[in-house]
Amino acid sequence: MGMTDAWVIPLLPAAAFVVLLLFGPYLPRRGDWLAIIAIAAAFVLVFPVIADFTDALAEHGAEFAGASNSVEWMTVPDNLELRLGVHVDAITIVMLVVVTFVSLMVQVYSLGYMRGDARYGWFYAVLSLFAASMLALVLADNFLLLYFTWELVGLCSYLLIGHYSHLRSAAEAAKKAFITTRLGDVGLLIGIILLWNDTGTFNIQEVIAAAEAGAVRTEVLTASVVLIFLGAMGKSAQFPFHVWLPDAMEGPTPVSALIHAATMVVAGVYLVARTLPLFELVAGGPELVLAIGLFTTFLSATMGLVMTDIKRVIAYSTINSLGLMFVALGIGAPAAAMLYLFTHAFFKAMLFLCAGSVIHATERQDVSQLGGLWSKMPVTGATFAIGALSMAGLPFLAGFFAKDEILAALTQNRAVFALTLLTLPLTAMYIVRVFILTFLGEPKDAEAHAHAHESPPSMTVPLVLLGVLTLVSGFVVFDQVGRALGFPGGIGEVIFLHEPEVLDFDVWVALGSSLLVALGIAGAWYAWLVRKEIPVIAAHVLRPAHNLLVNKYYLDDFYQAIIDGVVLRTAGILAWFDRSVVNDTGVNGPAETAGLMAYLLKFQQTGKLPNYALAIVVGVVALALVAFSIKA
Amino acid sequence: MEAVTQQIPLEHFLVLSALLFSIGVYGVLTRRNAVLILMSVELMLNAASINMVAFAAYTAPQAFTGIIFAVFIITVAAAEVGLALAIILRIFRNRGTANVDEVDELKW
Repeated sequence: MGMTDAWVIPLLPAAAFVVLLLFGPYLPRRGDWLAIIAIAAAFVLVFPVIADFTDALAEHGAEFAGASNSVEWMTVPDNLELRLGVHVDAITIVMLVVVTFVSLMVQVYSLGYMRGDARYGWFYAVLSLFAASMLALVLADNFLLLYFTWELVGLCSYLLIGHYSHLRSAAEAAKKAFITTRLGDVGLLIGIILLWNDTGTFNIQEVIAAAEAGAVRTEVLTASVVLIFLGAMGKSAQFPFHVWLPDAMEGPTPVSALIHAATMVVAGVYLVARTLPLFELVAGGPELVLAIGLFTTFLSATMGLVMTDIKRVIAYSTINSLGLMFVALGIGAPAAAMLYLFTHAFFKAMLFLCAGSVIHATERQDVSQLGGLWSKMPVTGATFAIGALSMAGLPFLAGFFAKDEILAALTQNRAVFALTLLTLPLTAMYIVRVFILTFLGEPKDAEAHAHAHESPPSMTVPLVLLGVLTLVSGFVVFDQVGRALGFPGGIGEVIFLHEPEVLDFDVWVALGSSLLVALGIAGAWYAWLVRKEIPVIAAHVLRPAHNLLVNKYYLDDFYQAIIDGVVLRTAGILAWFDRSVVNDTGVNGPAETAGLMAYLLKFQQTGKLPNYALAIVVGVVALALVAFSIKA
Repeated sequence: MEAVTQQIPLEHFLVLSALLFSIGVYGVLTRRNAVLILMSVELMLNAASINMVAFAAYTAPQAFTGIIFAVFIITVAAAEVGLALAIILRIFRNRGTANVDEVDELKW
C-alpha cells in the first residue's frame, strides 16, 4: 500500500455509504458497525501511506514534491482530456490523518449520542459519504475532482445540519449554510474554469507550474485567485460568509465536531495552502488572505464573548481559529497554518464533543441554564478544560505550539503581529468563560443539574483519546519528535511549498503571548467566577457595544434586509415576468392562439357535401390558374 | 384509327372531354340527390377517359399507356359505383332520404 494506492482510502467509506443506503434498514443495528469498520480501515490504511511517504522523503530529500497516480476519465480529441487521480504530499498526509481519525472518533461517539434517533442509519450513511468525499477532496490531484468533492461535502453538511428536519430552525440553518457557501463555490468554479482556459489542464500541480512559467495572463490569474479564495472563504466561514457557521450548530453535535470544526470548514484552508503558489504570483494575493483572516479573527473573538449558547461560542472560536490559519497562509507560512489545522482539529472536535456530552446529559445548551457540572461529569469537564486551555493557547498544549508558530512567522509584520496579539486575550477569555459558566459555579437550573450524569463510554472514550492528542500533538513541532515520527528534519522540513520553512520556537514571542493568554484566562476567572456582577455591569455600561455584539454586528439582519429588500423583490419581479411573459405569453400564448383558430375554423366543417364539392372545385380551378400564370 | 386522327383534330376531342367534364362538375354542384351526384361523377370520369384515349391516339399511337389508363379508370369506376350505391342505399334505409343536404352530421 504505497502513496499511489491512496485512492483506496476514500473508497472504503464510499462503499459503506452505498451499502448503508441500499440495505441499511435490513442490517443489524442499522449498519452503524459497517460505517465504523470502513472508517477504521481507512484510518489504518493511512499509516502505510505515511510510511511510504517518509521512505520517499528519506530517499529524495526535501525536493520530494509528492506522488501522483491518475487514470483517464474522458477525452474529447484535440480539446479536453480529463483525468481523475490522487496526489499525496505532506499537506495531504496531514489532512488524511485528521480526517480519518476525527471521523472515526465522531462515529464511535455517535453510537452513544445518536442512539434512539429516528434516522440513525441515515445519519451513519451520510457520515460515511462525508468521510469519503472529504478524503477524496484532500487526495484530489486536479481541480475538477476537488470541486466535485467540495460540493459533496457541502451537500453532506446540508443534510446533517438539517438532520432534525422537523425543526424549522434546523431546516433554515441547513438552507442558510448551503446557500451561503454556494455563493463562494460559484466563484471557485469560475476560477477553476478560468485557469483551465489559459493552461488547458485541471491538474493542480500542472496549473501551478504553468502559472509560474507565465502561461496565465496576469489579469486572468488575479481574477481566478480571487475567485478561488471566494470559495475558500465560503467553506471556511470567513467574513463576510461567516454567518452560516454559528447557525449550522442546529445539527447534531457530532456533526458540528466533525464537519464544522475539524474537517469540512478547514477545506478552505487546505485549498489556499494547496494553491498558495498561485496566490503568491498575484500582487496583493497573500495580503487579501491575510486581511480577511485577521478581520474574521477579530470579529469572531468579540462575538464569542457574549454568546450564551455553548455550541455557538465554540462555533465562533472555530471561525476565530480559521481566521488565524488564513493569517498564517497570508503571511506565507503554510507549515504553521497546517500545524494549527492539525492540532485545532483535535481540540476543537473534542470541545464540540464535550458540549455534546453536556447537552446529552442535561438537554440544555444555554450556559445561562448550566453550571456546576464539574462534579457530575468529571471526564467531560476535564477534557473540556484541556480543550479550552488549548484553544486559549496555554503553554505546552497543542494549541499553544501551533499558535506560537503563527506568531513567530508574523514577527516581520509588526502591525499584523500586534493585531493578532490583541485577539489572544479575547480568545482565552471567551473560551474559558464558557467553561466556567458550564462546569463551575452554582447550577442555574437545579432540575437539569440533578439529572446530569456522565456520558456512556462510547462517548467518553473518544473524548479521552482526543484529549490525549490535544496534550501531545503540539510536540510534533520539535525536530526530535518529527524525526522520531519519520519526518527527517522535523515537521517543518516536510510541510513546505517553496523552500523548507523553519518552525522556530521564539522564547520571547512565546512568553509574551502566554502572558496575554494568562491575562485573558485570569480575566475570565475573575469576571465570571469571583465577581459575577462585572459582566452584568459591563454589559450595562457598554450597552451599545454589547448590543452590537449580541446582534452579531447586525450582519445577519443586514443580510436578511438585503435578501428581503433586494433578492426577494428581484425574484418577485422575475417570477412575475416568468409567469406572465414567459409562461402565459410565450408558452401558453401559441397554444391558446392555435386553439382559438381551431375553434373559429371548425365552423367551416359544415358536414354538407355540396360545400365540400364546391371547395374542391374552387381549389382545383385556383391551383390551375396559379399553375398557368406561373407557366406564362 | 389512322383515318380518324387524320380527319378530326385533337382539339375536338379535348373540347368534348372538357364539356363533358364541366357538365359533370355542374351536376355534382347543383344536384342534391346522391344518385344524381354519383352519375355526374361518372360523367367526369368518362371525360377523363376520353382525354386519355385521345392523347394516346394522337401523341403516342404505338404505346398503350393511355389506353391502359382508360381501362383502369373504367374498372375503378365500376368498383366505385358498387361501393357508392351501397352507401347511398344504407343512408336511404336509415334516413328515408338520399338528399345530401339532409345528411350533414359529420362535422364539429
